[in-house]
Amino acid sequence: MKTLVYSDSQDIAAQLVAKFSQFGEVTLLVSSGNVDKLKKYGPTSIISFEGPENPDALANIARTAAEKGQHEMIAIGSTTVGRDMAGILAGMIGADVMAEIVDIRNDGGKIVTRRFFLGGKTVLEEETTSKIFTVSPGIAEPAEKAGSPPIEHLGLAASSVSVIEVIPKMASSEDIEKASVIVSVGRGIGSKEGIEKIRPLAEALNGVIAGSRPVCLDYQWLSEEKQVGLSGKKVRPKVYLALGISGQIQHIAGMRGSKMVVAVNKDKSAPIFEEADYGLVGDLYQIVPKLLEALKA
Amino acid sequence: MPYQIVVLIKQMPDLELIKPDPSTGEPNVKSVPLRFETLSKHATEAAVRLKEKYGGKVTGICLGTETAGQVMKEAFAMGVDEGIVITGYQGSNPRYTARILAEKIKSIPHDVVVLGNQSADSYTGMIPGMISSMLGVPLLGNALSIELSDGSAQVLRVMEDRNEKIQSKLPAVISVTQEINEPRLPPVMQILAAGRKPIKTEKAEPGKSYTAIRSNKAPKSERKKQIFEDPVKGIPEVVKALKEAIR
Ligand SMILES: Cc1cc2nc3c(=O)[nH]c(=O)nc-3n(C[C@H](O)[C@H](O)[C@H](O)COP(=O)(O)OP(=O)(O)OC[C@H]3O[C@@H](n4cnc5c(N)ncnc54)[C@H](O)[C@@H]3O)c2cc1C
Ligand SMILES: Nc1ncnc2c1ncn2[C@@H]1O[C@H](COP(=O)(O)O)[C@@H](O)[C@H]1O
Repeated sequence: MKTLVYSDSQDIAAQLVAKFSQFGEVTLLVSSGNVDKLKKYGPTSIISFEGPENPDALANIARTAAEKGQHEMIAIGSTTVGRDMAGILAGMIGADVMAEIVDIRNDGGKIVTRRFFLGGKTVLEEETTSKIFTVSPGIAEPAEKAGSPPIEHLGLAASSVSVIEVIPKMASSEDIEKASVIVSVGRGIGSKEGIEKIRPLAEALNGVIAGSRPVCLDYQWLSEEKQVGLSGKKVRPKVYLALGISGQIQHIAGMRGSKMVVAVNKDKSAPIFEEADYGLVGDLYQIVPKLLEALKA
Repeated sequence: MPYQIVVLIKQMPDLELIKPDPSTGEPNVKSVPLRFETLSKHATEAAVRLKEKYGGKVTGICLGTETAGQVMKEAFAMGVDEGIVITGYQGSNPRYTARILAEKIKSIPHDVVVLGNQSADSYTGMIPGMISSMLGVPLLGNALSIELSDGSAQVLRVMEDRNEKIQSKLPAVISVTQEINEPRLPPVMQILAAGRKPIKTEKAEPGKSYTAIRSNKAPKSERKKQIFEDPVKGIPEVVKALKEAIR
C-alpha cells in the first residue's frame, strides 16, 4: 500500500516515514525548507511546496498529491495544523479518518489501529477501511536510510485564512520524550517558585522537569512542550516521579508507559496512587528535601 | 452588528464514573449518565460571550441521544437562545457527525460556528475541519480569543511552538481551546426558566460505519501500588527503588 505522509513537525514527519514504510512506498509531502533535513529518512519520493503551512492550503495540496500518486493512505501528524488539515481534507474528498492513532499494523490484509478512547481511560483497537489517519507523536523511531528520493515541486494554493502576526513562545532544548528520568509537577506545586525548589531533586536524579496541563498551559509555570498527557507528550521514562499531580485520566494517558512511577500527594485517595509503584502521602515540600537527603546519603 | 452564532454541543459519558471491569477491563459506558462535553461547554461560553459583546443570537445544535434535551437546557441557562437536538448519534464516526451537523447548519442563518477543538471523550479533533470544508467556509482553529468586526473574525490561535493571530472573512468556523474561558455557572432562576424553553427535536438517518471495534479496554495497570502514609517508613523504600531504577 502506498502512503502520502505529512506533518508540520519534522520529528513527527520522520516518524511517519519510518512507520508507514512497513506498508510499502511512502511519499513525503514537505515544505521545501525542510527537504534536506527529512530526505535522509528514506521516503520513496518527495513532494515539496513553498509557502505558509495553513490547514486549508495543505489539504488542497495533499488532495492533488494523493490523486496524482494514487495513494491508498494519507497519514498526517496530529498537531493543531495536522488535525485541522485532516478534517478539511476528509470533508473535501469524502474520506473517513481514524484519528489520533498510537499504533497501526497490517493483520492478515486488514488495517488495525489503536488509539485512546474515553478521555484516555481505554484503548480502542479497530479494524478500519479509512483512508486518512492522524497520528500521535511517538508512533515510531525514525531511522536514517541511504538513497536519494526523487523530488517534485507542487504549488500551494492560497489560504482563506491570513496570518497577521506570529507570536513566538519560549522554547527549551530539553526534550522530555527522550529523558530517562522525569520529575513531573502538578497544580500541587502551588507556584512557579515552587519549581525551583524541586530542581535539586531533578538534578540529583539526572532527570528533566515536566508538568501537568494546568502547570504548562493555564499557569505557564513551565513551557508547553513540557506537558505530559493526552493532549501533551506521551513519555515512557525509566522513572516518572509525580509531585502534586492528582492523576486525572488525561494525564495518565501520557505517562502510562513509564517503567516505574513514584507519586507524592497529600491526598491519600488521589487517583495517581492507583497508577504508582510507590506512593508517599504527604506535603511535597516536606517530602522532597527528605528524598533528596536520602538519595545523597 | 448582530451576529447569527451557531454553537455545536456534544454529550459525553461522565468520565469520572467510568470504571473498567476489573476482570475484563471493559468500561461500563452504557450505565453512565451523559453530560455536557467539556470542550462544548467552553464553546458555548465563547458563543454566549460573543453575543453579549456584539449582539445577535446563539443557536445550539446537538447530535445526540434522547437525553440531549437535558444538556440543551443547561446551554439555555448559560445564554443560548435556541436549541436543536438531532437524535441518532453514532459513536465516534466523525464524518457522519459532521455531515449531519453541516446539513443542519446550512439550513439556518450563520455568521459564526463555534465548537470545541477536540472533544474530551472521543478526542478526534476532526469535526472543526470537516464542518469547515463541508460548509465551504474558513476554519479559524484552536482559538484562545475571538474578535469579530465588520464581516471578519480574528482569532489568537494556539500552536505547539508559537501562537498566531489569524483572520478570515465571515461566515467562519471557529474551534476553541479549553483555556479560552471559564464556563459560567448559571443562577437558579435561569436554570428554571431554561426548563420551559422549547427544543426542536429531529432524527437523523443512520450512516455506514467504517471501523469494526476489536476491543475497547482499559490498559492493565501492573503497578506495585506500595503506598506509604508514613514518610519515615516510605522514604528509604522509595529511595532504594529509585537508586535501583536509575542505575
Ligand atoms: C480534552 C482534555 C485533554 C487534557 N489533556 C491533558 C494533558 O495532556 N495533560 C494533563 O496533565 N491534563 C490534561 N487534561 C486536564 C486533566 O483533566 C486534569 O485537569 C489535570 O491533569 C489536572 O492537573 P493536576 O493534577 O496538576 O491538578 P489537580 O487535579 O488540581 O491536582 C493537584 C493535586 O496536588 C495535590 N496537592 C496539593 N498541594 C500539595 C502539596 N503541597 N503536596 C502534595 N500534594 C499536593 C492535591 O491533593 C491534588 O491531588 C485534559 C483535559 C481534557 C478535558
Ligand atoms: N455529536 C455532536 N453534536 C454536536 N457537536 C459535536 C458533536 N460531536 C462533536 N461536536 C463538536 O465538535 C467538537 C470537537 O469534537 P471532535 O472533533 O469529535 O473531537 C466538540 O467539542 C463539539 O463542539
